[in-house]
Amino acid sequence: MSAIPPVDFLALSAILLGIGLFGILTRRNFILLLISIEIAMNAAILNFVVFAAYSGTGGGIGGQAAAVVLVGLAATEVAVGLAIVLALNRVRGSINVAEATTLRQ
Amino acid sequence: MLAFLPEVVLLATALVIFLLDVVGERRLEVLGGIAVAGLLASLALVLADLGFAPLAALRTLPAADVDLIPATSALFAFTSLGLAFEAIFLTAALLVALASLSRPSGEKGAAVFFGLLLIATLGMTTAAIAADLIFLLLAVEVVGISTYLLVGYPRRDPRGLEAAMKFYIVGALSTALSFFGASLLFGAYGSTNLVILSQATGSVGYPALALAGYALLIAGLGFKLTIVPFHAWAVDVYDGAPTDVSAFLAGGSKKVGLVAFFLLFIGPVSLIVVRPVACVGGVCPTAFDFAPTLQLALGILAVLTMTVGNVLALLQREMKRMLAYSSISQAGYMLLGIAVGTAPALAGATFQVLAHVFMKSGAFLVVAGVAGLGVGPLIEDWRGLGQRRPVLATAFALMLLSLAGIPLTVGFLSKFVLFSAAVNAQGYFVWLAVAGVLNSALSVFYYARVLKVMYVDPSPAEIPAPPALPFGGIGYGRAAAIALVVIAIVALGVDPQPVLGPLQSAANHFVLTGP
Repeated sequence: MSAIPPVDFLALSAILLGIGLFGILTRRNFILLLISIEIAMNAAILNFVVFAAYSGTGGGIGGQAAAVVLVGLAATEVAVGLAIVLALNRVRGSINVAEATTLRQ
Repeated sequence: MLAFLPEVVLLATALVIFLLDVVGERRLEVLGGIAVAGLLASLALVLADLGFAPLAALRTLPAADVDLIPATSALFAFTSLGLAFEAIFLTAALLVALASLSRPSGEKGAAVFFGLLLIATLGMTTAAIAADLIFLLLAVEVVGISTYLLVGYPRRDPRGLEAAMKFYIVGALSTALSFFGASLLFGAYGSTNLVILSQATGSVGYPALALAGYALLIAGLGFKLTIVPFHAWAVDVYDGAPTDVSAFLAGGSKKVGLVAFFLLFIGPVSLIVVRPVACVGGVCPTAFDFAPTLQLALGILAVLTMTVGNVLALLQREMKRMLAYSSISQAGYMLLGIAVGTAPALAGATFQVLAHVFMKSGAFLVVAGVAGLGVGPLIEDWRGLGQRRPVLATAFALMLLSLAGIPLTVGFLSKFVLFSAAVNAQGYFVWLAVAGVLNSALSVFYYARVLKVMYVDPSPAEIPAPPALPFGGIGYGRAAAIALVVIAIVALGVDPQPVLGPLQSAANHFVLTGP
């Protein structure tokens, strides 16, 4: 573990967050948007795990617990997102975010 | 764990409602009645915990357990300010649940509506007593997830679903940002406990990492509180959501972001409050202090939020969108209280939240009732309402006057307390107060326009017949909620001391003890 410096992990999580945010802002398909959201959430989870691993004895438990809880939270969020997609698809027949423009007139 | 009784009551009521739905009991009046009863019970328990004398028999949280400095391993801490926020949130949910009893009784999804309303309220009350960043963000998430579903619960309504989709995307983005910020803070200081975080703002740990973490948290939680530039979603969502849900979002659930800011930035050894003693708990302020930076950033965001919200509200033609922008500008006033960060400013911001619950929820509940009478979404559709429905129009006018900050209403007093706290804090806070006063003056224009439409313009030629509900189509529940709002606006506007006094002492305790 100690062979890889923590900065490398932080760079990876920053890149993951960047990819996720880019996807959330540019993707027009709701499913791809959900995947982008997952990637951004995973950046935070990775951060918690890395900091827990490098924090030495005792301090790491909180970070590991946070990471596990966040995995559950991310799954909950996607479940809700999929429920909204399903309902939207039934009413509108499309899950393209760019076509949802009834509001803002 | 008897101290969690208010939360347990909320959860149990929500589960009862979901179970009744499963066994086939789907009448709106029954499920709504249970929800109102649960909220009332929870509110009574919280008021008892706050030391409200007539309810002393219900008290489950000993007075000695309130306002202690929480341990560095604590997940939650009962502060009087947190309990006050619980009471405010429960009031908001109660008003919405009461008014929703008058929704069309054939409507599907009553269990979803009332159950999720209770779960969202549970998240809000839990957030108010958090002492750990992860605990806090999870509570905020409970609110977020249940409100995404609340916005989209009429599953055949394309507008509601579109609003739910937009709300979900923005909410998920804000969640990712908040948790990434929290992870950076954990990396910088090795803990997510709010007491440790607030004590650690010296040169310990990795200050650059921590500053990035705070910036991400301000952005993530700023989405919840609709701070400019993170506000754009709010107008579409409040517009597209069922209006009773908009009342809950604008009047209630967005304040959870404010509570999160309170807990993050203000406390016994906080980032912002000028500490009464140089060293607390053996930790002394050091040369590298975030306080001035964060304070300036929050102050700038506050002024931006109130100005942008007010200017855009001036340009709106639809009633709900106008109220949504006005709600954004009100968030700016509340944020101003955090930027100032003194105990009087905290009390002012909390009082502003309470006032806003009544004014904004009330206004949206009237809009929902008026829409049921066949009035269209545009402001001009309200013409002549003052002659046709004098009582309803007067109630709405009173709420708008209070939002504008006219004396003898609660909206005037809450702004007065807030701005005078800013002036007393000296420095550039005086200019924040000036910006706030100018903004209040600006807001009078768009509220006055509605008054003119209601009272001066003639009624339209054809008026659809109101639905067969009591109070001329409004219904008992909605009429009761509107009456409560009117009474609260006037009573607190004339004599705020019964509420403001306890809030001030709660804010004093909070600055000194935590979390």
